[in-house]
Amino acid sequence: MPQLDFSVFPSQLFWLIVSFFLMLFIMSKFIIPKTSEMINLRKDKINGDLEKASEIKIKVEETLDKYNKSLQDANNRASLSLQKTKDELEDMINCKHSDLMFRLQSEIETGEEKIALSKDKALENIEDLSVELSIQILNKLGFSGVKPKDARAVIKNLKKEL
Amino acid sequence: MSSPMEQFVIKPIIPIEIGGVDISFTNSSLFMILSVVCSTLFLALCLRKRTLIPNKAQSIPEGLYEFISGLLRENVGVEGLKYFSFIFTVFLFVAFGNLLGLVPYSFTFTSHLTAVGALSLIALALNVIVGIRKKKFGWLRTFLPRGIPWIMAPLIIPIEMISFLSKPFSLSVRLVANMTVGHIMLKIIAGFVVGLGILGMVPLLFDAIIVCFEIFISLLQAFIYTVLTCIYLSDAIHEH
Repeated sequence: MPQLDFSVFPSQLFWLIVSFFLMLFIMSKFIIPKTSEMINLRKDKINGDLEKASEIKIKVEETLDKYNKSLQDANNRASLSLQKTKDELEDMINCKHSDLMFRLQSEIETGEEKIALSKDKALENIEDLSVELSIQILNKLGFSGVKPKDARAVIKNLKKEL
Repeated sequence: MSSPMEQFVIKPIIPIEIGGVDISFTNSSLFMILSVVCSTLFLALCLRKRTLIPNKAQSIPEGLYEFISGLLRENVGVEGLKYFSFIFTVFLFVAFGNLLGLVPYSFTFTSHLTAVGALSLIALALNVIVGIRKKKFGWLRTFLPRGIPWIMAPLIIPIEMISFLSKPFSLSVRLVANMTVGHIMLKIIAGFVVGLGILGMVPLLFDAIIVCFEIFISLLQAFIYTVLTCIYLSDAIHEH
């Protein structure tokens, strides 16, 4: 059996030690560092990216919180402002309304007074016209010499009866 | 038909003798060196164009790296990563030795107990050094585990010593036997190819199937050898 040929044992041992340690040297100095370098670089990159992503996530959450808070503040302020404007408008409307009512009332009163005056004046004119018309009618009927004073007294009496 | 054992004969290529010791460069030495050259070239070529996103070639050494580091983490723990280079080299050396042996007219140095035994002795020496460095005198506890009554020491110590020293032997025999048997089988079946004439196609086909199987065995045996080396290393690092 060639495996039991003792004469080749020293040579086998020697060359195994030489080749194994040569390979160990090559692997540990060149191949393994080259391989691990890229693997570690990739791991670092992935970890860095993950770290960055978590940092960005925290920032986004903070920004979102700020945004929500600002939105809430803006809503509150808008509601307050709206309420204030509404109140002011209501006050203004009430004020204007009462002012308008007051003006309308005074204008109605002035108008009524004017109407009453016009009415009185119109009635006075009617009396004068009636006196004049009555004298002219009587003159046409042949009753001349009727005095306006008498005619006015008769008309006044008739007016009272009506 | 030549003997199936003929393929294991060591033939000197360059005779060298130092101090009366024959350390000739033989066919076995050639394949040891070839194993180093081929594995280095293969990995160097794969790592030629390295990118952050690995290409197909780059994935091979990186996958191998992750595989060995996973093996170390599982069997030895994070502490074991210090010996990554050693385990990585052991795996590649044995795997390439086995695979190169499958090339026709080549030589399988892993089928020789001396070569594999020497490798196992290197692993054993590492275990002893690591154990002594880590546990100092406590390393001697390897031969007398805790909890064993002192009275049992004369019985336990020799048993543990034999067990400890048989580790590299069993490690080597497993690999050597697998490689030797595989190659003998290949050779015997190949012997029938010419002898059977046209019917020789059957053993040829059978041989082709066995070669595929042997490729698998070569890698599996390299893996088993590496795992066991890791386990022995773990025994040296951790408490018995």
